[in-house]
Amino acid sequence: MIAAMPDYQAAVDDFVTRLRRRQVEGSLITAKLTAELLRQVVSHQRLPNVGQAAVLIDVVKSVGLRMIAANPIAIAAANRSALRAPSLHNLLESIPDPVKTPEAPAASVGDSDSKSRSGDRNSVSWKLKHNVIEGITELLQDLDDYHTHVAEQALEHIHQNEVILTLGRSRSLLKFLLEAKKKRSFQVVVAEGAPRYQGHTLAKELAEKGLQTTVITDSAVFAMISRVNMVIIGAHAVMANGGVLAPVGMHMVALAARRHAVPFVVLAGVHKLCPQYPHKPYTLLNDMKSPAEVVEFGELSECFAAGTGDHTTYVVNPTFDYIPPDLVSIFITDTGGHNPSYVYRLIAEYYSPEDYFLQ
Amino acid sequence: MKADKAVEDVGESAKVAGGVTFEWLRQAEDASLLTTPARPTATDHGDSSFSVIEEFNYWRMQPDLAEAVAAIKALTAVIRRSQASTMMGLEIELKNASEALKAWDETSIPLSAGCDLFLRYVTRTTALEYEDIRAGKARLIERGERFGEISQKARRTIAMLGQDFILNGSTILTHGFSRVVLNLLKLAASNGKHFNVICTEGRPDNTGAKVAIELLAAGIPVTLILDSGVGYMMEKVDMLLVGAEGVVESGGIINYIGTFQSALVARSMNKPVYVAAESYKFARLYPLEQRDLGPSPCHVEFVEPVPEDAKVENTARDYTPPNYLTLLFTDLGVLTPSAVSDELIQLYL
Repeated sequence: MIAAMPDYQAAVDDFVTRLRRRQVEGSLITAKLTAELLRQVVSHQRLPNVGQAAVLIDVVKSVGLRMIAANPIAIAAANRSALRAPSLHNLLESIPDPVKTPEAPAASVGDSDSKSRSGDRNSVSWKLKHNVIEGITELLQDLDDYHTHVAEQALEHIHQNEVILTLGRSRSLLKFLLEAKKKRSFQVVVAEGAPRYQGHTLAKELAEKGLQTTVITDSAVFAMISRVNMVIIGAHAVMANGGVLAPVGMHMVALAARRHAVPFVVLAGVHKLCPQYPHKPYTLLNDMKSPAEVVEFGELSECFAAGTGDHTTYVVNPTFDYIPPDLVSIFITDTGGHNPSYVYRLIAEYYSPEDYFLQ
Repeated sequence: MKADKAVEDVGESAKVAGGVTFEWLRQAEDASLLTTPARPTATDHGDSSFSVIEEFNYWRMQPDLAEAVAAIKALTAVIRRSQASTMMGLEIELKNASEALKAWDETSIPLSAGCDLFLRYVTRTTALEYEDIRAGKARLIERGERFGEISQKARRTIAMLGQDFILNGSTILTHGFSRVVLNLLKLAASNGKHFNVICTEGRPDNTGAKVAIELLAAGIPVTLILDSGVGYMMEKVDMLLVGAEGVVESGGIINYIGTFQSALVARSMNKPVYVAAESYKFARLYPLEQRDLGPSPCHVEFVEPVPEDAKVENTARDYTPPNYLTLLFTDLGVLTPSAVSDELIQLYL
């Protein structure tokens, strides 16, 4: 087993606790913190001379598993830790054999290459770590840039005098709309997104920039949908079958859009891709938040039966909705626009098959 | 048996069409009586009575062996008996044997898929230029032998992947007899999941009864329904789970007749359709409509005598297009129908 290094162990523990307490919210933040943490882990890990990549993969996997156990819904964390492993798998292939099996140099004495490599063992081990850390840094940069890459495609999708509908608030959506605003004029209808009412925040931000915005309640979506040209939303995660995990209420919007033949566009950075298939998405991939957001505690107390104190009413406050892939028209990622049926290809590009199940 | 006379009548006409039906029925009967016929005598040199088809039939009768694997084992036997002195010669012998097998049973897709896969593998291996033909042959034989294990391993992988999708308290509709599906359900049951299965009668082969026997032995409650009762039961069903005889390039499947119908009903009522199939069932076919499948007539026993002038359409299988399927469980992983063509390319190229 790998010896625990006290320097990063404390950082890992701290992050895991914050995940469990849901103090880390939002897929981007989770992804960034996970990547930074893994970079720390990799740089502090001392590697043996043999089988370095395998050791690294084990370490990354064990840290990743802890994070997933803390908050399975922060699938972005799972994505990140798993994503590191494929680059490690790739590097494993590119490592010359003499480094992996030190017995080989003894056998192939005539091979000058292996001789020099066996002498450079320490420098090669440093190279492997260096490559991995470089990879993670690149990843962090991509995370910072992805909003820009997604927003660049805005002009292709939003046209003059269109009406766009959305629900709640998404940072990538905000940047997307503002980028399109530079050259086109259009209107936005924002559904408020109960119980958090983040739609109000988005509407204010859009209005400040001079976009004509209308705020509606969630229940008015079906009434407004026939007047709308396109629905654009941000995703929390994209599953391997092309299904989308989005804030609660989105499935209803997707159904309304399908009913009235309105294109349903999902903005998702590549870091939101998850290699798992949802077998019971509504319960297994959901987070139940405090019911106090929906009904005040004081009002709730009237729901208890007098005398016995049994519940007669339950209040449920799920965070996420699962949208099946056939309701989505197109995914806009930082690498371009893709069909939901193409998601398996993206997963194959960014993940190696050994990483689909971390256990 | 009263079936015999009807079989005899069809047998004559079927023999003209390629001798498929009668032979298959006879072997199925033999297999169900659990008799193991004498193995074709194995002599190393100049065995003129060796027939790859006999070898194939021998392997086919092993109860748990899939058809594709039986074909591969038969081809392995060809390699063992081969007198060729070069890899090219061996390849040609194998090609001829494979053609013979395919010609013997033109309608079987797993058979041709298995032959194609093994030939592809042979071509790839010969490209590695084994200097010693004995070493090359040994390698191919070893690989052929391992295919039997791969078949079992594939079923285990599929069962493990698929059982996550079976939820406690769910109702599963199944159609046709598939060992892969049975494995999947048995594994889920042995992991403590409680679910019940509805299976169709599966005329004309009466697959429903066979499936019911296996499932009840594993303690899974079973309900049998008429094939025409699928629409009636669909509202109670949580998912449709079927096996496949072949998986085609478009991501669709070829399976026992009635599968397309069930998938159609399931789709229209928003129930997921899952397919469990091993990777050696992937075939280089692209049917555009039902008639694009080769004819595969089966004997149908009509309780009421059929009038002279009425025509009978008695195909044994149908094609389900990919847009009716939700996911495929294969030993290559869980795949969406659109991912099948990518995997096919990797298998065959």
